[in-house]
Amino acid sequence: MRPALRCLPRRAIRPTPPALQPPAFTAAAAAAAAAAAATTTTTTPSQAHPALSKSRSFTSTPTHLHNPASASVNETEISHFSALASSWWDPHGPSRPLHLMNPLRHDFIRRCLSTSPDSSSSSSTTNLRYLDVGCGGGIFAESAARLPSTRSVTAIDPSPTILAVARDHARRDPTLAPRRGRLAYVNTTIEQLPLPERPADRYDVVTLFEVLEHVDYPAAFLDRVGAFVRPGGWLVLSTIARTWTSWFTTKLVAEDVLGMVPRGTHDWDKYVNEDELRGYFASKGAEWGAPQVMGVVYVPGAGWKVVQGSEKVGNYFFGVQKLH
Amino acid sequence: MDALVRSRGAYVCRSCTRSLRRQWLRGHSYSTAATTPDIYDVVCVGGGPAGLSLLTALRANPVTSHLRVALVEAQDLAKVRSWTLPPDRFSNRCSSLTPASVRFLESIGAWNHLARDRVQPYHEMQVWDGVTGARIEFDWGLGSAPPARHAVEGTTIAYMNENLNLTSGLLKRLDELGGVAVFDGAKVEAITYGPETEELDLRQWPLVHLSSGNQLCARLLVGADGANSPVRSFAGISAPGWDYDRHGVVATLEMEGDGWRGDQIKIAYQRFLPTGPVAMLPMPGRFSTLVWSTTPANAAVLKSLSRKDFVAMVNAAFRLSPVDLAYMHTQEAGQADEYSWRIQHTPHDPRAVPQEVVAVQEGTVASFPLRLRHADTYIAERVALVGDAAHTVHPLAGQGLNQGQGDVQSLAKTIEYAVTHGQDIGVTMSLEPYLSERYAANHVLLGVCDKLHKLYSASSGPLVPLRSVGLSAVNALTPLKSFLMNRAAGNPLKLF
Repeated sequence: MRPALRCLPRRAIRPTPPALQPPAFTAAAAAAAAAAAATTTTTTPSQAHPALSKSRSFTSTPTHLHNPASASVNETEISHFSALASSWWDPHGPSRPLHLMNPLRHDFIRRCLSTSPDSSSSSSTTNLRYLDVGCGGGIFAESAARLPSTRSVTAIDPSPTILAVARDHARRDPTLAPRRGRLAYVNTTIEQLPLPERPADRYDVVTLFEVLEHVDYPAAFLDRVGAFVRPGGWLVLSTIARTWTSWFTTKLVAEDVLGMVPRGTHDWDKYVNEDELRGYFASKGAEWGAPQVMGVVYVPGAGWKVVQGSEKVGNYFFGVQKLH
Repeated sequence: MDALVRSRGAYVCRSCTRSLRRQWLRGHSYSTAATTPDIYDVVCVGGGPAGLSLLTALRANPVTSHLRVALVEAQDLAKVRSWTLPPDRFSNRCSSLTPASVRFLESIGAWNHLARDRVQPYHEMQVWDGVTGARIEFDWGLGSAPPARHAVEGTTIAYMNENLNLTSGLLKRLDELGGVAVFDGAKVEAITYGPETEELDLRQWPLVHLSSGNQLCARLLVGADGANSPVRSFAGISAPGWDYDRHGVVATLEMEGDGWRGDQIKIAYQRFLPTGPVAMLPMPGRFSTLVWSTTPANAAVLKSLSRKDFVAMVNAAFRLSPVDLAYMHTQEAGQADEYSWRIQHTPHDPRAVPQEVVAVQEGTVASFPLRLRHADTYIAERVALVGDAAHTVHPLAGQGLNQGQGDVQSLAKTIEYAVTHGQDIGVTMSLEPYLSERYAANHVLLGVCDKLHKLYSASSGPLVPLRSVGLSAVNALTPLKSFLMNRAAGNPLKLF
C-alpha cells in the first residue's frame, strides 16, 4: 500500500543537489522532478497521509535554493527513467501507453490553438515553435517536429542517458536531421535554459507531458516553465489527478498487478489535481486565460479514450494560453 | 520464415542483409555518390489496381500529397495507359466492383477516368444449387417495372468492369495529379536495408534495388505486388493457405439479347456445381463475362474445344444436370450436338437462367489456378501489404479486388492519421490501425468463401439436402438476405 508509506512529511530534507549534472525535469515521464532534492533545506508543508490531506502543497516553493540550476530535478526520477532508456522506443515495451497517448497530445494542442481569439489567422497555427520540457526519448518531440505546421522543436531533458536514446532514434528519420533545424535536443534543465529576452522570441507552444507528476515543487517549476511561453502562446501539459482511482489504476494495477509500466514509475503523492492547476493559474491574475481540459482513460487493448469528466479521476490534459 | 534468396535478385533474409549491408557500406564509402539511394516516404511495388489506388489516394488527399512517393512496376505502363478496345470487344479479366469500392474510387477522383460505357451495373443476383435446384434471389426489392434511371443507382448490387479499364483509369488520374516517381518496366532485383552514415541511420529502411540500377530507400515499402509478393518475402511474412485443385475458366461471351429484363435491370447468375460455381456476369449490351471454377482436367477440356462446342458447354453449365455435364466433359468434340439433344429432355425455366450464349469472343478463353492464401500479418517495420499480396480469395463472391480496395482505403486513412499526428508513417506503431481494421474483416470473408466452396463441392452425402434447406431458408429470410447482399455490396461488416 503505497500511500500508507507516505505518512511522513515528504519533501523534507534532501541533501544537497545531486551531484548529477544539470538536472532538470525530465521526461515525459520523468520529469522533472523538481528540485530535486537537493535544493531545499526547508521542508515543505507536509502532506501527511494523502488520503487525508487532499491537497498537494502547490504553493510551497522551496525557500532557499542553493542550486537553482537543478531546482526541478529529482535524482531518483532521473535514474528511474534512464534505466528505461533502452526500451523507450519499443512499441510493445513499457512505454507503449505513452506511444498510444501521443496522437491525443496533438489533438489537444490543436483544440487549444483553435480557441485562440486569433486562430483564424494562420500565424497562430502554422510555423509554430515548440519547447518540449522533459522530452524523454522524444516521442512527442519527434512527432511535433514532423508536423507541417511546425517550424522547430526544442526538446530538453536532464537525463543524458535518455537524450542519447532520443538523438540516436532521431537519426532514423531524415526529416529530423539536425541540419534541417526542425528538432534540437538539449541536455539541460529548464532552470539552466536561457530565457529568451524578448517575449516575442519565446515559444508558441511549451509542452510538459507526463512531467508534472514527477516534479517535487510544481508551483516553482510552473513559474519557470511558464516564462518560456510567448504572449499569446500556450502552455500545454498532461498529468494525473491524485485520486483513489488513479492510485488503483496507475500504481496498483499498472505497476504491481499487470506490470504494464515499470514499478516506481509513479509516485502517487506527486500527482496534481486539475483544480489545483486551475487554482495555480488563477492566482497569476490576468497573465493566463481560461484553461482547456480533456480527461482521458486508458482502456487496455483499445488505447486511450477521451472521457468527459475523467480529468477529475485520472489522466488529463490541461492547456492554458498566456495572455500577457 | 525468412525470405528466400532469389539469386541475381536476392530477396535476402534479414540476417543475410547485415552482411550485405556491410558490403554495401564498404562499396559506398569508397565509391562515388552515384549509387546513393533515393529516399522516399512511400515506395509501392506493384502497379495493379491496389497499388495504383493507394498512390492515387495519397496524391489526391491534401494531407498526404506532400509525401514523396514512387511506383515500381515490372510492366511497361504505357500499354496500360493507352489501353483501348472497340465497343463490342471486352477483355476476359473482369471484376465486380462493389458500391463501396466505387465510392472510394469516386472520392479519389479516379472513377470519372474509367471508360464508363464499358462498366455495367447489375441489380439482381440469381444463385442456385446445381444438384438440388434450391434457389436464392437477391435484389433490392424492385418491382417488375424497370425503375427510372436515377433510381437504378441506389439499387445497384455491384458494377462489372474490365480490370484494365480500372488500371487505365487510375493511371490517367495519377497522371493528372502528378508527383509520382514512376519506375515501370523495372524489375525488383533485390530488397535489402539502407545504409548508416554519421547523420542518418537507415538500417531499418528497406532499400529496393531495381534492374534499372535505381535504388529506392523507403520509409514505408508497400507490397501491392500480387500473390507471390517479393515484398512479403522480404518482410519474412508467410502466407499459408491451400490450392483448391480448381481452375477458374474465363471468357467473354455474346448473348442472344441484352438480358431478360433489358438494359435497365441486369442480372448476375451463379450456379453451384459439384465441381465448383459457374458465374455469368453482365457486361454492357449483349455481352457477358464467364467465371467457371472447375477441375484442372475439365478446364483443360474446355480450353481445347472449338468455339461452337465451348458455347454449348457454357449453356449446358447453367441448364443441364451435373451428370449430363460430367458426361459432356468426356467428349473430345461434338458438345454442340450433344447439348441440343439433351436440352430438349431437360425441363427448365428459360427465364430463370441466363439467356443463351451465341458466341465466344476469340482469344478470350483462359484459365488460372484458384488458391486461398492469407498472410500472417499485413504489416512489419516499414512494410505494409495490400491486395493479393496480403490475401487471395476464392473468386466465387467476386470480392478479391474489392478487398484490395478496402485495404487501400484503410491504409491511406491510416497514413493520413499518422501524418496529421506527426508519426513516422513507416513504423508498426503507425500501421497498427490498418492491420486491426482489415485483418479480421478479410479473414471472415476468406473463411465464408472457402466454406461456401466446400459446402457446394459435395454432390451427395448429408450436406446436400441441408444446404438446399439452407439456401431456401435464406431466400425466405429477408434480414439474412439483406445481410448477405450488404456484404456483397461491400458495405462494412458490423461485428460489434
